[in-house]
Amino acid sequence: MRLTEFEGKELFNKYSIPIPKGILINNSSDKITLSAPFVLKAQVLSGDRKYAGGIIFVNTKRAAKSALKKLFHLKIKGEVVKRVLAEEKLNTSKEFYVSFSYDTSTKMPVLALSTAGGTGAKKAKIFPIDIVKGLPQFVIRGYLKDAKFKSEDISKLAGIISNLWHLFIKEYALLAEINPLIKTKEGEFIAGDSKIIIDDAKVRAGERRLIDLGGDIAILASGGGASMLNIDALASYGGRPANYTEYSGNPPANVVRDLTYKVLSRRGLKGCWVVGGTANFTDIYETIKGFAEGLKMLKPKPKYPIVIRRDGPRQKEAKKMILKLAEREGYQIYFFDSETPMAETAKLIVKLAYGNSNK
Amino acid sequence: MAILINKSTRVLIQGITGKEGSRAAGEMLKYGTKVVAGVTPGKGGQKILKIPVYDTVHEAIKKHKNINATLITVPGPFVRDAALEAIHAGIPLINILTENVTTQDSAIIVQAARDKNIRIVGPSSVGIMSPGEAKIGSIGSSDMQKIFTRGVVGVISKSGGMSAEISVILSRAGIGQSTVVGIGGDQIIGSDFKDLLELFQKDKRTKAVVIFGEIGGTYEEEAADFIKKSGFTKPVVAVIAGKFSETLDEGSTLGHAGAIVSKGRGSYTSKVNTLRRAGVYVARTLEDIVPALKHGMSKDIARKIFKK
Repeated sequence: MRLTEFEGKELFNKYSIPIPKGILINNSSDKITLSAPFVLKAQVLSGDRKYAGGIIFVNTKRAAKSALKKLFHLKIKGEVVKRVLAEEKLNTSKEFYVSFSYDTSTKMPVLALSTAGGTGAKKAKIFPIDIVKGLPQFVIRGYLKDAKFKSEDISKLAGIISNLWHLFIKEYALLAEINPLIKTKEGEFIAGDSKIIIDDAKVRAGERRLIDLGGDIAILASGGGASMLNIDALASYGGRPANYTEYSGNPPANVVRDLTYKVLSRRGLKGCWVVGGTANFTDIYETIKGFAEGLKMLKPKPKYPIVIRRDGPRQKEAKKMILKLAEREGYQIYFFDSETPMAETAKLIVKLAYGNSNK
Repeated sequence: MAILINKSTRVLIQGITGKEGSRAAGEMLKYGTKVVAGVTPGKGGQKILKIPVYDTVHEAIKKHKNINATLITVPGPFVRDAALEAIHAGIPLINILTENVTTQDSAIIVQAARDKNIRIVGPSSVGIMSPGEAKIGSIGSSDMQKIFTRGVVGVISKSGGMSAEISVILSRAGIGQSTVVGIGGDQIIGSDFKDLLELFQKDKRTKAVVIFGEIGGTYEEEAADFIKKSGFTKPVVAVIAGKFSETLDEGSTLGHAGAIVSKGRGSYTSKVNTLRRAGVYVARTLEDIVPALKHGMSKDIARKIFKK
């Protein structure tokens, strides 16, 4: 889960990492109780907000009013601006880059340090950390020396980085980044921006992901691997996937029912593809029952073709049940087991959905 | 021969009295795996499927000195502690079935295991299967005899579902498997492709390897580097999922926690190109795997792979 700048800075504050004086604005008519000059920043998740005009520097409160109006009308990468962070402008003398994240090649957390903030992150030096031993401040000071930081900055910076490490660990972050970490002309160090991602396994384990892909063939895929592989297959045969989603780990019928309803409620669908490999332990009858229940909730009744390809525990019972329902309700359902390759059923749903001419 | 597990594997199950643990225990026994003990703190003295349950791993290994593998099935928040307990007890192979283990806990487990030279497979691993010898975990619960057949092709998969699907396709074509390993799709996992390729290289029975990878992380790229640098001699066929993600925003997570959309290294193109440069045949679909194995190998190897 990605946090906005403001949410991240609240965490910085909690872990004694200095942040600029600022207030959160929810409405363009809100009063800014800061002294000018200051900066207004749209609170959206896109990293491109600067280029999209989401950051405006103003010298007077009057200028701030029109700037706020502009920001609250802005849409950045599809995200509407609902909150703006106003902060007093800092007297910057230097900008640094500091972050903690996980590295898959060492399988360790890593500290990234650069004496240049902003795009200087690309040139950061990387230090893997033994997570069992932890990260004492003397080690951080050594890394700061290795990364060519100046002697006069090392002691204060090590304190801030140590606090960021505690945040990274205690909040189960996957990324905790300060970019830029600003040194002011007064010699203070202040976090100019925050980028924090919290581990989904901690905050929303088991949540079903649903991403709109804009096409017209709905997909209900089982399993992380199958879901990705099959969208690739569908696209390779000219199918236009409507969504990305997946259910896995032997879900109860009601989970599949709700997901089915959500995915198939979309307008303009031309087909539905329920696909998965040979399940290891997922109860196929249970999941297909969930699908059937979701189908029955839909109004109007889906007339488009539905292709199901699934195998595993209780597959035969599932097939019997859904085909009987199809006959009774007039659904156009085709059911295949592992004798038919998944890719073969991708080809079929594309053919059934678009016909020969209407592609 | 096989890798990781065989007939002499003696398994402990941590979390054996839970839903996942007891189900896995039943299936493993059914397949002939020797499950000798279970651990659930507070339930010592009980029996599940005639398997004795202990309060601590220490007690279990004191009573059953031949335990050489453990399956962890406890809920996510308890996995770190259970794994550290097994590492402390010195069990050489730890297979973690549980999903939704935080990246931080995985990093701690991997680091602690590395310090004691213990092998971890998982988290989010569907299990390990050496057909005809033993299985650990939930791999292939239904119709195990139909899905898995004994043979000479190793399978390594980030996806549990695809490890069974690939095995069915191979078995149907008359190609048996030496060992099938579900390594899990998390960002940090105990054993990745290259770790297991190293074992398959040494395994005399294994003549070729099939790997199923996904976008995100660097394990596929590292496998390619390993194949190139170590002089891996056995043919490798790979399937990589997630091509469609190239049109999505960077940073989105797809099916597995480690499947994070990225632009450079970690992307579909990066993985496919790096693997191809290392001499790996990248199959477009699962159905391309069998023809690739047929054509990609010398007659001598092909004869050993195909039983039909």
